[in-house]
Amino acid sequence: MMPQVTTLSNKERTKLPHQEMPLRPAESRVLNFDEVPVGYSNDQALSESLRCLHCKKPACVGACPVGIDIPGFIRLIEEGDPAAAAKKIRETNFLPAVCGRVCPQDKQCQAVCVVGRKNIPVGIGNLERYAADYERTNGTLEIPVIQEPTGKRVAIIGSGPAGLSAAYELTIRGHEVVVFEASHRAGGVLVYGIPRFRLPLRIIDEDVRFLTRLGVRFVYNMVIGKVLTLEDLLHQEGFDAVMIGTGAGLPRMLNVPGSNANGVYSANEYLTRIYLMEANHFPKYSTPVSSGKKVAVIGAGNTAMDVLRTAKRLGAEPTCYYRRSHDEAPARSEELKHAEQEAIGWRWLSNPVEFIVDENNFVKQIKCERMELSEPDETGRRKPLPTGNFFVEDCDTVVMSLGCSVNPIIPSTDAEIRTNKWGVITVDSNTCQTSKKGVFAAGDAITGGSTVILAMGQAKKAAAAMHEYLVGKPVSASFEVLNGVPATVS
Amino acid sequence: MTDRVNQILQKFDAHIVESVTQTLDKVKALTDLTQDEKLDLAKNLCELFFHAHHTSSTLMPKLAVTTGKRIAKFGPEMIPFLIDEVMEADGESAVYFGKALSRFGVRGLDYTLARLNDCKDQDHDLINLMQVLSYFKIPETANAIPTILAQAQHPNHQVTAMALYTVGRLTQKLQTSAFSESTRSAMFDHIFRFLSGVQGLVRKNAARTLGKMLRRGLLSHENEKKLYNAFLSITGRDEHHNWDRAFIVRREAEDFLPYFHAETAPVKLYTQSFKILSKRLLCTNTYHFTIDAPLIARKIEAGQFLIVRPHIFSERIPLSVCGWNREKGSVSIIVSAVGKTTTEINTMGVGDAFQDVVGPLGERSIIPADAGTCVVIGGGYGTGAIIPTAKDLKALGCKVIGIVGARSEDSLIMIPELKQACDEVVVTTNDGSQGIKGFVTDALREVLHRENVTYVLAVGPVPMMKAVSEMTRPANITTYVSLNAIMVDGTGMCGACRVTVGGETKFACFHGPDFDGHKVDFENLMKRQKMFVKEEKLAFERMK
Ligand SMILES: Cc1cc2nc3c(=O)[nH]c(=O)nc-3n(C[C@H](O)[C@H](O)[C@H](O)COP(=O)(O)OP(=O)(O)OC[C@H]3O[C@@H](n4cnc5c(N)ncnc54)[C@H](O)[C@@H]3O)c2cc1C
Ligand SMILES: Cc1cc2nc3c(=O)[nH]c(=O)nc-3n(C[C@H](O)[C@H](O)[C@H](O)COP(=O)(O)OP(=O)(O)OC[C@H]3O[C@@H](n4cnc5c(N)ncnc54)[C@H](O)[C@@H]3O)c2cc1C
Ligand code: SF4
Ligand code: FES
Repeated sequence: MMPQVTTLSNKERTKLPHQEMPLRPAESRVLNFDEVPVGYSNDQALSESLRCLHCKKPACVGACPVGIDIPGFIRLIEEGDPAAAAKKIRETNFLPAVCGRVCPQDKQCQAVCVVGRKNIPVGIGNLERYAADYERTNGTLEIPVIQEPTGKRVAIIGSGPAGLSAAYELTIRGHEVVVFEASHRAGGVLVYGIPRFRLPLRIIDEDVRFLTRLGVRFVYNMVIGKVLTLEDLLHQEGFDAVMIGTGAGLPRMLNVPGSNANGVYSANEYLTRIYLMEANHFPKYSTPVSSGKKVAVIGAGNTAMDVLRTAKRLGAEPTCYYRRSHDEAPARSEELKHAEQEAIGWRWLSNPVEFIVDENNFVKQIKCERMELSEPDETGRRKPLPTGNFFVEDCDTVVMSLGCSVNPIIPSTDAEIRTNKWGVITVDSNTCQTSKKGVFAAGDAITGGSTVILAMGQAKKAAAAMHEYLVGKPVSASFEVLNGVPATVS
Repeated sequence: MTDRVNQILQKFDAHIVESVTQTLDKVKALTDLTQDEKLDLAKNLCELFFHAHHTSSTLMPKLAVTTGKRIAKFGPEMIPFLIDEVMEADGESAVYFGKALSRFGVRGLDYTLARLNDCKDQDHDLINLMQVLSYFKIPETANAIPTILAQAQHPNHQVTAMALYTVGRLTQKLQTSAFSESTRSAMFDHIFRFLSGVQGLVRKNAARTLGKMLRRGLLSHENEKKLYNAFLSITGRDEHHNWDRAFIVRREAEDFLPYFHAETAPVKLYTQSFKILSKRLLCTNTYHFTIDAPLIARKIEAGQFLIVRPHIFSERIPLSVCGWNREKGSVSIIVSAVGKTTTEINTMGVGDAFQDVVGPLGERSIIPADAGTCVVIGGGYGTGAIIPTAKDLKALGCKVIGIVGARSEDSLIMIPELKQACDEVVVTTNDGSQGIKGFVTDALREVLHRENVTYVLAVGPVPMMKAVSEMTRPANITTYVSLNAIMVDGTGMCGACRVTVGGETKFACFHGPDFDGHKVDFENLMKRQKMFVKEEKLAFERMK
């Protein structure tokens, strides 16, 4: 097909209307776990692609953690070749179908898009998803060029976004890669956390299958640190390097009376029971989740939105309790918007202080203190301050969604792995190498919790450094700590 | 055409599910069909074969198979007709002709083979006939393999690929006993050469067929080695690092690599079969299993546990380990059926495999720094779970006294094994049918009285662990209990297993499972264990 050269001027382009992502209607989508955004049609994608101005120095690319050639791939969509667009994205991002769906574009590329100064920014995420979906449904995905085998073996611990992208990067550089996963499924948070109505399972399964085709081997049920230690991997199993991509899987809980009552879950437990263990199909699947009628969700991050919307789909009336106000909610704006459409209760400026239980230790009420916001401090942040006013509401399930700390299993079984005081694994900022030679780390394990794309960005950096390490180039010896900051608590 | 047939066929529309089902019913009701009637019906009905794949109905393909069955019932006279038709067919409709023809057994097979030998140069016919052959399931089909493989020499690579494909399907379908030793090695030698064919499709089908032979155990040790090296080379894993250009070929080889036997394949795959090696009834509803899990067996220590998921629909449940064999690579567990998952496990037998087994999880039991007199107390599965720790204590030079509690004599388990690990074992039963009548605390009181006990470990029901901890509290004797909180992942990821110890929240799965019994909030644990009682009851009832 001859590419059609579009000759729209920038002025004409800015006049084109933004294409909204079509969504399933709120009333019917809460009845099941099917995906909410249905994806651009070909026409919509084409129209939206025409809105890009193809800036000489595109700000969006600079704001993308992996530096996708955004105007480049949009141009290919404009030219009617989404398969090539997907290929272009894949040069830098190996999980386009995932990122197109879950990346916080409103805080990254789309936040700086020049079109967004006066108008709605280009729907970069939606276009990314469109290209990736086109590639998947039309089977245009090509096998990348894989370098000559180097004879080096790499172990990757954890199969979340960090682990998967490192596996990809190292495989195409010719190394033999084995991924060790503690759970019985690959994907990390993508399978046990992010709901199916945002990210259908088949997408991640296909990405995993693609990796196995490239020769990556996945071994499940392997808790590294327990069944094999880092030392075992390096000295007994013959791996030349190891990458830790174990995420931040240790849920934080509120330490208030009633926190250990029955019916109080961490978001991890709630979502794992449902998405990894399929408790929504209980009793066909044996794992239960006693999600009641009134579900109180503490926090207002992405995870909290996921829990609220999941509870809604299980037939409950979920309510969100957050100690700051709507504007400070850390969730991706799109998720917040979608949740708001789904008839969910909101209690802003409400700080839970107690979960009141019945005689059998089941929660029956939540007690909150009303908060108010301080004047902005020098960082511009407004702090929630207690007011001394309390209120009590009924609930039969509580889900705490307060973020996670890093799981200590690996650091605690290897003295050479250093962590900061929050348990986050410290790494060299240039190479992602940990304090142990030959062991690298990326993802939530070194940040304490961030995003899919940041995890992937770090994994790419780690993979590049690992490659140099493996082929014998010196890896920067300085040990300069990248991560001194704790993860934000929502 | 006779009237009755005409009437039926006029209403027949191969595109409409209802019409097809009705027609089939009517045809079924007909008796004494003449030769011509049969042919008329067959000619019209098999029109369905050409459509079945092009409708959106998922029922159509099934109906096409039923139609084939019906035509086959008309008798072997239909064979020549069907074979003639198949020559006209495309790849997808040939499937239904194949399925229909395979119902004629040896006669169908012989006729198809005869035709195959006749049509030398009609490539399309050859391909279709071979596809038909791939649907025969009778053992005699194995004898046709040399004939099919002879076609593989054909200059058209599509024919070659189909010949290899057909042999692959037969390898998968036929009983392994249908393949004699000589057939096996002839097949291997013949197909192996095609691994270096020019066309990717040919190499792929050759790799797939050989892979299937491997998987069905049809390869001699020598040939398996040969194939292994070939697959290593295809996937670029040998010393030349020249892998097959075609991705489809690499993928085939890649998929079969895990099926090579350990002796052949030096690549470590970290596979644990999780197969049940032995099963033994201990008492009503309680079994002792040993499971193949060499990696876990290499690392496990006293006090640690496993998380098992018997099949893909099950829950993940924690189970303690009561022994292991590091050389043989096995671990032992005791399962008492209390609900759905444990009952399901107890119906599994030797040779069955668990879907997932994760371990070793939790910290090993804490044992005292210096030798002294130690008491290990078990109830239920705990009687087994304390054995590894008892052995450790013994190795440290301690005097180890075991105390076991059970409802009655018939529910006592693992006593001989425990006796081997301890210096002395005191048995208590609630009904007095063996040993001391009463509870473990009655025995413990007596032991504390006569011995200078420095360490106590209790594993079993929560009320028992609580009572033990209360008894040792006044004298401040170091007491550990193994907390059986509800768990999901067992690695600290979910927080389901939260327990309160010394006023702090701990995760039983990775801070424990053993904790200082004097600090544990047993009330909270007991209540939390009842979190899902309603759901558990429902699951258990539905299961029956
Ligand atoms: C509910 C929820 C919603 C989210 N929504 C978004 C979103 O919309 N957009 C976004 O960008 N980000 C989102 N995030 C954050 C994002 O998912 C994470 O930042 C990202 O998944 C981190 O990737 P990772 O590879 O570092 O770790 P993970 O995805 O956590 O994967 C770690 C893997 O390592 C395994 N593992 C852990 N310990 C071991 C061990 N000892 N041995 C072997 N394997 C081990 C785990 O089982 C897991 O599979 C969300 C997070 C959650 C919880
Ligand atoms: C560290 C530890 C070691 C254990 N060791 C053994 C052992 O060696 N042998 C043995 O027979 N049992 C053992 N158990 C108990 C065993 O895990 C439960 O009996 C089992 O999970 C019950 O599952 P079910 O589906 O059969 O019954 P259900 O009807 O689902 O539950 C019956 C009761 O078992 C408990 N239970 C249910 N689900 C879980 C779960 N996911 N995790 C923990 N407890 C649960 C609850 O208190 C529940 O009321 C152990 C538990 C723990 C925590
Ligand atoms: S900043 Fe916006 S307009 Fe400019 S290249 Fe990026 S997407 Fe296009
Ligand atoms: S079982 Fe999930 S944290 Fe312990």
